[in-house]
Amino acid sequence: MTDKITRVATDVGGTFTDLVFFETDLATGQQTVRTEKSDTTPPAFEQGVLNVLDKAGVDVTAVDFFAHGTTVVINSLTERKGAKVGLITTKGFRDVLEIGRGNRPDFFNLMYKKPEPFVERYLRREIAGRVDFRGQEVEAPDLAALPAILADFKADGVTAVAICLIHAYANPTHEQAVLAEVRRLWPEVAAVASHQITREWREYERSSTTVLSAYVQPAAERYLERLENGLTDKGYAGRLFIMQSNCGVDSVQSIKSVPITMVESGPASGFWGAAELGRIIGEPDVLALDIGGTTAKCSLIKDGHVTIKTDYWIERDRKSAGYPIMVPVVDLVEIGNGGGSIAWVDEFDKLHVGPKSAGSTPGPAAYGRGGMHATTTDANLALGRINKDYFCGGSVVADMAALETALATLGAKLGMTPVEVARGIVRIANSNMVNALKLVSVNRGYDPREFTLVVFGGGGPMHGVALAQELGVKKVVIPRGAPVFSAWGMLMSDLRRDYFVTELMDAEDHSALGRLLAATEARALEDFARETVPPEKVTLKRFVRARYQNQEFAVEVPLQDGPPDAASTAAMIAAFHNAYEREYTYRLETGVEIIGIHLIASSEVGKLELVSLPRTDASLTAAIKGSRMVDYATEGCHEATIYDGTRLEPGMSFTGPAVIEDPGTTIVVHPGNRVEIDDFGNIHIALWG
Amino acid sequence: MTDLTHDPVTFDIIQNALEAIADEMFVAQRKASMSAIIYEVLDLSSSILAPNGDIAAAGAGIPAFIGVLDKAVKGILKKYPLDQVRPGDMFASNDPYYGGVTHLNDMVLTSPIFDGDRLVGWVANIAHWNDVGGNVPGSMSSEATEIFQEGVRIPAVKIFEEGRPNQAVFDILYVNTRLPDFLKGDLWAGIAGLRIGERRVLELTRKYGVETYLAAVADYMDLGERRALAALKALPPGVYDYEEEQDDGAIHKIRLTISAEKFSVDLTDNPGQKGSNNSSREGSEIALQLAFKTFTDPEGPGNGGCFRPLEVITKPGTIFHVVEPGALGYYSEVEIRLFDLTLRALAHHFPGVVPSGNFASICGTVMGGKHPDTGRHYTIVEPQIGGWGAWQGHDGPSGQFSGFHGETFNCPAEIAEARYGMFVDQVALNPEPGGEGRWRGGKGIEVHYRVRGDGNFLSLGYTRSRMPPWGQGGGRDGSLNYVELRRTDGAVERYAFATNVVVNTGDVIRIMTANGGGFGDPADRPEAEIARDLRNGYLTPERAAEVYGYKA
Repeated sequence: MTDKITRVATDVGGTFTDLVFFETDLATGQQTVRTEKSDTTPPAFEQGVLNVLDKAGVDVTAVDFFAHGTTVVINSLTERKGAKVGLITTKGFRDVLEIGRGNRPDFFNLMYKKPEPFVERYLRREIAGRVDFRGQEVEAPDLAALPAILADFKADGVTAVAICLIHAYANPTHEQAVLAEVRRLWPEVAAVASHQITREWREYERSSTTVLSAYVQPAAERYLERLENGLTDKGYAGRLFIMQSNCGVDSVQSIKSVPITMVESGPASGFWGAAELGRIIGEPDVLALDIGGTTAKCSLIKDGHVTIKTDYWIERDRKSAGYPIMVPVVDLVEIGNGGGSIAWVDEFDKLHVGPKSAGSTPGPAAYGRGGMHATTTDANLALGRINKDYFCGGSVVADMAALETALATLGAKLGMTPVEVARGIVRIANSNMVNALKLVSVNRGYDPREFTLVVFGGGGPMHGVALAQELGVKKVVIPRGAPVFSAWGMLMSDLRRDYFVTELMDAEDHSALGRLLAATEARALEDFARETVPPEKVTLKRFVRARYQNQEFAVEVPLQDGPPDAASTAAMIAAFHNAYEREYTYRLETGVEIIGIHLIASSEVGKLELVSLPRTDASLTAAIKGSRMVDYATEGCHEATIYDGTRLEPGMSFTGPAVIEDPGTTIVVHPGNRVEIDDFGNIHIALWG
Repeated sequence: MTDLTHDPVTFDIIQNALEAIADEMFVAQRKASMSAIIYEVLDLSSSILAPNGDIAAAGAGIPAFIGVLDKAVKGILKKYPLDQVRPGDMFASNDPYYGGVTHLNDMVLTSPIFDGDRLVGWVANIAHWNDVGGNVPGSMSSEATEIFQEGVRIPAVKIFEEGRPNQAVFDILYVNTRLPDFLKGDLWAGIAGLRIGERRVLELTRKYGVETYLAAVADYMDLGERRALAALKALPPGVYDYEEEQDDGAIHKIRLTISAEKFSVDLTDNPGQKGSNNSSREGSEIALQLAFKTFTDPEGPGNGGCFRPLEVITKPGTIFHVVEPGALGYYSEVEIRLFDLTLRALAHHFPGVVPSGNFASICGTVMGGKHPDTGRHYTIVEPQIGGWGAWQGHDGPSGQFSGFHGETFNCPAEIAEARYGMFVDQVALNPEPGGEGRWRGGKGIEVHYRVRGDGNFLSLGYTRSRMPPWGQGGGRDGSLNYVELRRTDGAVERYAFATNVVVNTGDVIRIMTANGGGFGDPADRPEAEIARDLRNGYLTPERAAEVYGYKA
């Protein structure tokens, strides 16, 4: 059994469940890769996972490492299919969840509807007891009030209890006492307290996070149990790792108690994959872009470092305040622009693309399933960028008549020809994505020209080069397995936890900082010990979150190893001034204060190391499928060579105009671009000669 | 790419970019600011303007600041002929009599943008500074009678001249404040916002060419105008009068003259200016622009074109058109009364077009003193959240910022306790009756601050403290905005406007904001909804019996 190592990752998405399978032969070092897709199967999502394993012919008894990501949590939230939650909070604060932060993002709209709280007022109950902002007890918690509260909850059909007390981030003992008492009085109910999820201040954000975690907990627990059982029944004997939103995996046991950390697992693994890819190909500075059917998501990777933050919200946009979830999530910008985004003309004759999506049913007009609206995918077809005879890898016959009609309808309103409309759609979609990419780069003080653009997801490779041109990026990389890249990223992930802890102190107070670090590091090592990872296998990365006195937003700067002293503190403060100036264009002589730390603890648990693909000396000509006219929008029409992506091998290179057709995606290469296939099968496209 | 691609898609791309730049300027300034009133309350706005000072795109946290900066740039252009505006200049003004628009706390910064030697537009921002000197901490005094008592006046001066800082202005600003560190940080945050905006606009003009850029800006404003006119056509033309009694007994009057091309507002017949409850003419225009915008086209872009159909007629020397040296500290309460009066007039003549009245006051609250832990001076400057009115088909929302504030955030109790010398004993919804109807008004709040040291102070300016938010179509009026101060000896004081009330250890400041007005006859509210309100404690059994005739 030890002659091969087999790793499998599965990623449950909205439409498809993806699988990536890597088998490494220890004797020869040769790697076998398989990717597979099958339909996602709501509500029994685990069935789709078992299906895709069967479809790919994976023998799970031989699998050594199994990683899994899922949209189960985010679906449960957005579809409002969670538990009935009761909230226990500090006396005087039950309305915090309903008041929120009082903001009205759609501010000209006098009929703005505030997001409804996930817990109605009668199920938000208060108990006496108080901890102050320094973490000191002012009044002991009134545990005697709990039996009556829980009796009411039971009578009202509550199935999950959330506990969030004021200042519990500074001292969780009251929450711990309440949680223990709830478990004693009502052992079968799902229960979670805020300190288990976050140790940061802001009572509304913490309450919302706790409530939403409780809301998804019973369903997530059941799902993970069914998945475990399904795998066990098939003979899987190894450990199951679950992808989290912080770009790491965690054990299934630990995820069950705080399932909310899975909320953005799909995008997180994709961006982590982009960072790891950057490491492998020697590109530490990466702009990563993931274009799916409904949205595009992007993130910036600097020096191989993916930024993890805790200001994540669901359902927040220009029209709604949304709901905060204060867990570590990869820093991403998401916009409603994907392959299925619908193009439309408003009553004042302006062309827009998205955020409404045609989804998979009816899908783009060219699916021929009754979709009346032109989408970005349709525009790409009309311009010859996507091959109408190889639509969706040849699995769908493109309904060009429906597409033509949809474009003509828009054209009639705009006074433009269908081709002009198609160009307009692509240009506007690109402009929306360029603005999103600027948000993660230029808005944070980074020059995109110094980055490599890595694009993935089904729609990314079609737009990558055009976006790179707009941003002045010199190189675009399309990873091998771009359409299933999230699953790929999971195989590269470590067991990881991010600890964000709030504590206000002066920047020079290195003894207070030392105490906070030591306590948090001890907690991290304890947590990893529970996962059977010994301390010497745990890597700790320390960051200080600092700001000028009285500011609100903190800048994260690294701190050297060892107990903080005057020298390391001085280095940290110097790094703060530099980081601050880069982002905000100026620096001050004002005092610096620390609002807390961010500690990353990680450990390798079976991460994949890629080896080069074999070269068969196949000729490039064999990969050429033919040629056709392709409309490059602002660069005009050109006769492009069409390549079969599955027949490209390391070492091959050619020049655009070209289109590379892969079963899962289409790569558009503009005139003059230089294309090279690297040792691992990734496609590098060099712009600007 | 050629210079003259005047195709509609290029226009769309430039116009989207303008909005993105205005947002970026806004975010940059917000994140770098020192004062909670800027970074949490978002009392700031940023704009990109056309060369003549019309707003091309605005990024704002609060709608009341959308139409401010055109007035500021036009005020500056009154003082400086174009040949005195040079590349690298940056102007500062906080004086409403010199392009400052609102009150002395709000500092306007603006820079011309030159592509080569061609003026292609302006970038500008405005933000509320916590303290600019004057008679009282926080600078806003309900007792001020002249602008000289309200702080340092910066009458549209160059803070940078052709790229060189004018150190004299910096020095004057730094000493005319009780909070120099805050002022310094807030000033540089504003400068950073402008620099980013300027850089981005120049990227656009260089990419698409100046002519295309300017044509896209003009087209964008035309779009704004077209959208506003389309909405105006839906209203029956005519002359519509309305008047309303205020907390102090004064009567405010408005006359709307509506036609297919014009929305004219006549404010001539209104009380004379007095105290600090006055607004500049420009400030009154802003309140009316906001009402006009929310009513005609809440969806569209907020640029100068939207407001072309709006005409405003005022009389100098009245509260809506203060003349020098009148004080303006509490200009915002005058403006929000005008905003609310306009909506009420519309609701009166066209029932149901807008929701019933909300708490409709900034409820500006200033508390401060020596921090009991650090010994440093602290000041809380915050607007309050309150109850909103109901409308056909929907109960009013609870605990939201007023129509003047938007993407504004209240200060979390946990942060307030750590930062300020106060404990927060509760953050709850207002339990008082009011606002019942077929659809009920939303709830205001009841927040208790407990003072931790002696000799701290409280100042406030609340309206709708005697005359409640208005119901519609038989819906009940809401409740009132006020502050109740409970002394440790049991004495209770009630305030709406006050300056520098001394508060001491253990005193509890109870902030009460109004429940919004109801919509429709309470008799028509279904029993299930009344029962649900009872279960949730939004309604007492006694009040349910009294107003709804409901018996459990």
